[in-house]
Amino acid sequence: MGPLIPNGFIPEEWNSIVAILIGLAFGFILEASGFSSSRKLAGVFYGYDFVVLKVFFTAAVIAVIGILYLDYLGFIDFNKLYIHPTYIWGAIIGGVIMGIGFVAGGFCPGTSVCAAAIGKIDAMVYIVGILIGVFIFSELFTLFEPIYDGYFLGNLTLMDSLGVSPYWFVFVFTIIALIAFFVVDLIRKRVKKVFY
Amino acid sequence: MINRNLAKVLSFRYKIIALVLVLLAAGLVLLPKYEKHEGINPKDLLSNAISPERYISTDELADKIVNQDPSFLLIDVRDEKSFKKHALPDAINIPLEKLLDEESEGYLNQDEYDIILYSNDNFYADQAWIICNRLAYKNHRVLKGGVNKWFTTIINPKIPTENMPKVAFDLYSFRKAASMYFGVAYPEQAQATQNTTKKTTKKRVTLKKKKKMAAEGGC
Repeated sequence: MGPLIPNGFIPEEWNSIVAILIGLAFGFILEASGFSSSRKLAGVFYGYDFVVLKVFFTAAVIAVIGILYLDYLGFIDFNKLYIHPTYIWGAIIGGVIMGIGFVAGGFCPGTSVCAAAIGKIDAMVYIVGILIGVFIFSELFTLFEPIYDGYFLGNLTLMDSLGVSPYWFVFVFTIIALIAFFVVDLIRKRVKKVFY
Repeated sequence: MINRNLAKVLSFRYKIIALVLVLLAAGLVLLPKYEKHEGINPKDLLSNAISPERYISTDELADKIVNQDPSFLLIDVRDEKSFKKHALPDAINIPLEKLLDEESEGYLNQDEYDIILYSNDNFYADQAWIICNRLAYKNHRVLKGGVNKWFTTIINPKIPTENMPKVAFDLYSFRKAASMYFGVAYPEQAQATQNTTKKTTKKRVTLKKKKKMAAEGGC
């Protein structure tokens, strides 16, 4: 929980409770915005619904703009934020597997739990699939370990690896996002409507 | 089907939102950039700077060296030539211009030792002290008076006159003893001392690479 718990504004013991509350809110909003529907989620790949792309792209843009403003005003130290470490081949292979699962099953792990919570049977089957996958991965971990731990590039951000100013990067990123929104709208208008 | 007018209003709203996003992002690019402060803030720096605590006297330092206090590190901020010519025992030479080099950081930015900076006077050492303090390096102190004061007080102490208080005599005898430790020969002692080679324990500074603090967490 960001700066609040390490600095003692909220006692350490509240960590899990805060996590549960955030999780509940996240799940609720996910459900409320229709992300528990596998048809809606898979729509990105078939071109009849781009809500997923729009939501995640907007979230990323808003978050990065907000963080940079907070950093500029001195509320947050941009350099102290957690940056996820990059294991390049692990990320690529994992991404491909995740993508295939996404198209085939119509859920991503988070939304599948969300959909299971409102009683969707396909989501429950999907969760069983996730667990089987976890089991296989754990059993064969020694086999995957070189890929899992190898090809480590450090805690990279796109701005670091491209070597551009974060402000310009975000500006270009925003423009790209808006163009993407416009283009996917055009695509959606051409694709046959699917009602669900 | 969705109401067409509503759809038009909505699409207008999207345009506004898109415009706001672009403006916000452009704002980031256009905002005047400023150099971020690293280390402690100016207020703390000032209060540290005017505190007399940041000085150590030559007598205190001599006492530390004689007692082989292992907890401090002497840093010579003069240039290499003067360092080679004469330096205090076990000092490490980091000239002022090399203060911010990467290899100097391991000595200057650590918690293990107290760091005592010195130069000929305390002038350059003070500059080094300010820089290091600004970067939030801890436990830095400056040798008051520097090498010059060291010579006039420890190596060549002034003999007190008879009308001076006892304290002055005590101080003198301490300084004299210290100077003998540092190899000054006095006529009345000349035959007694056999120029014993003094051994001082070399201090070890583990130069650790500064690693970025990875914050905990993830998604």
